[in-house]
Amino acid sequence: MTTFTRPILRKPTATPYLFLLPALALLGVFVFYPIGAVVYYSLTDYDIVRPPVFIGLDNFVRLLEDETFKLALLHSFIYLIVTPILIALSIILAIVVNRKLRGIHIYRALYFVPAVSGSIAIGLSWRWLFDRSGIVNSLLQTWGVIDEPIQWLATPSLVLPMAMLLTIWAGIGYYSVIFLAGLQNVPEELYDAARIDGATDFQKHRYVSIPALRPQIVFVAVISSLAALKVFDEIYVLTNRTGGVLDSGVTMVFYLWEQAFERSNAGYASAIAIALLVITLGFSIVNVRLLERGNAPGDR
Amino acid sequence: MSGIDLTGRALVAERPGRRAARRNRLLRDGGWYVVLTAMAVITVFPFAWMFLTSIKGPTDAITSVPPQFLPNAPTIANYVKVWDSLPILSYFLNSTTVAVATGLLNMLVAALAAYPLAKMRFAGREFIFYLLLATLIVPAQLTYIPSFILAVNVFHYYDTLPALIFPNIVSAFNIFLLRQAFRGVPNDLIDAARVDGAGEWRIWWSILLPIVRPSLAAVAIFTFVTSWNDFLWPSLMLHTPKGMTLPVGLAALQGFFSSDFRSIAAGVTMTVVPILLFFIVVQRYFVRGLAGAVKG
Repeated sequence: MTTFTRPILRKPTATPYLFLLPALALLGVFVFYPIGAVVYYSLTDYDIVRPPVFIGLDNFVRLLEDETFKLALLHSFIYLIVTPILIALSIILAIVVNRKLRGIHIYRALYFVPAVSGSIAIGLSWRWLFDRSGIVNSLLQTWGVIDEPIQWLATPSLVLPMAMLLTIWAGIGYYSVIFLAGLQNVPEELYDAARIDGATDFQKHRYVSIPALRPQIVFVAVISSLAALKVFDEIYVLTNRTGGVLDSGVTMVFYLWEQAFERSNAGYASAIAIALLVITLGFSIVNVRLLERGNAPGDR
Repeated sequence: MSGIDLTGRALVAERPGRRAARRNRLLRDGGWYVVLTAMAVITVFPFAWMFLTSIKGPTDAITSVPPQFLPNAPTIANYVKVWDSLPILSYFLNSTTVAVATGLLNMLVAALAAYPLAKMRFAGREFIFYLLLATLIVPAQLTYIPSFILAVNVFHYYDTLPALIFPNIVSAFNIFLLRQAFRGVPNDLIDAARVDGAGEWRIWWSILLPIVRPSLAAVAIFTFVTSWNDFLWPSLMLHTPKGMTLPVGLAALQGFFSSDFRSIAAGVTMTVVPILLFFIVVQRYFVRGLAGAVKG
């Protein structure tokens, strides 16, 4: 932030603040005010219709004893497994498509299709694929892999993995574009040098591509893990807005939504929202720490 | 091709060698095409299967073992049915209105905010910078309960399209992207304009904006697609069927046609095709936006 060698504006004026005014005013109304309001609501009994009644920390006490909330918390943490998988697969895809082949642009566009199609549309298409009488079961039966159709979306132990698989499938194309842009900035000489040193293809990528992609890896790690902590749409569609058998697919945001908008427990839902904020904040701090450690000299 | 000791014998021997090299390259490229195509099948198959299901009539099996891929009698009856029972065209127009407005307003507000952050010195700049950074961490879902109450009690735009636009006009992410783009503009250019007597607004409009036009497009298009696909907030705000956006209408489709998968498939296909066509047209900017976001 100290890139300015001389003051560009000589005397203080209102101009910079006027430029910033629309953004700050909107953030004030739609981000900062709601944070304050959520903190207040979390201390109340509130059903959105009648005015909130102050009840102190009761909602948080209830939260600590709520088995469904603990389950939702666990599920949201399990969901974070998608991040390393997404990073690994997206880098591999980026390396594969980073070569000069006729028609490669068409392939790159095809891999991006799930990313622009919208979570509801792809969720519905997955429901249809993995329906009890869907084509996945049909193919597995045809090939003799299974005898009886599998209840992909109605078996408690499968609901969360299916949602995670959907997130990964939809995310690879998106994140690999970021990695591809990073790869295309790697100087060709580095690969030539590695080749002269007798590096195999695998070693070339392990010791040249991966280190060069460090900023992209950090970015994708942060973005995709925040998205994983906030997952909602996939769960909503795949479980047909039920959260899955025995709450097997309930995540923090799903539980927040259910409490606030299905059961009108806005006060309690606000306490869940505060928990979500604290976890996201803590997680971001950890992320930043890891990032700083990663940038320490000698690491490269 | 060492060039050393290039005897006649070596020359003769080189021809088959070169041919072998070319054969190797063809083999290698062929291998890559197999890998690329296999991956494309995995990505596209769910959509292809949706489409194939949607053009099947009642006599074509959709749940058989082994599966029947192609319809014997392709039909558009399912599309007609969905079109007649749901206001798909309204969904489409509503989605377009919201996504265009959100995209353009985001571009404008982010471009305004990015200029002082990139090129001016003023009290509180650091503070505002970190304040914006902090908003990236706050989960949007946290704000939904108060925003819902604001929509009903204060702004009175519940169940209307502005309810989807106003809360989404500003994104710190877009501000940072444009700030990065503005920082790439040489200070000398701005100083020269100042010497010529141009005011800050003039500089912003006539010098900065034209230079960063690709980044502006990236912001608008990126926001457009995000807004187009947004679901949770719109589903909370919209209740009148005619006033819904595509994702909200699509989610209702499931309840409407319950187990009529041919119709659900037709509905999904109808909503996916427009955004795919749009993506094909603007692909270039999309990739630039994603790639540019990381350099900051």
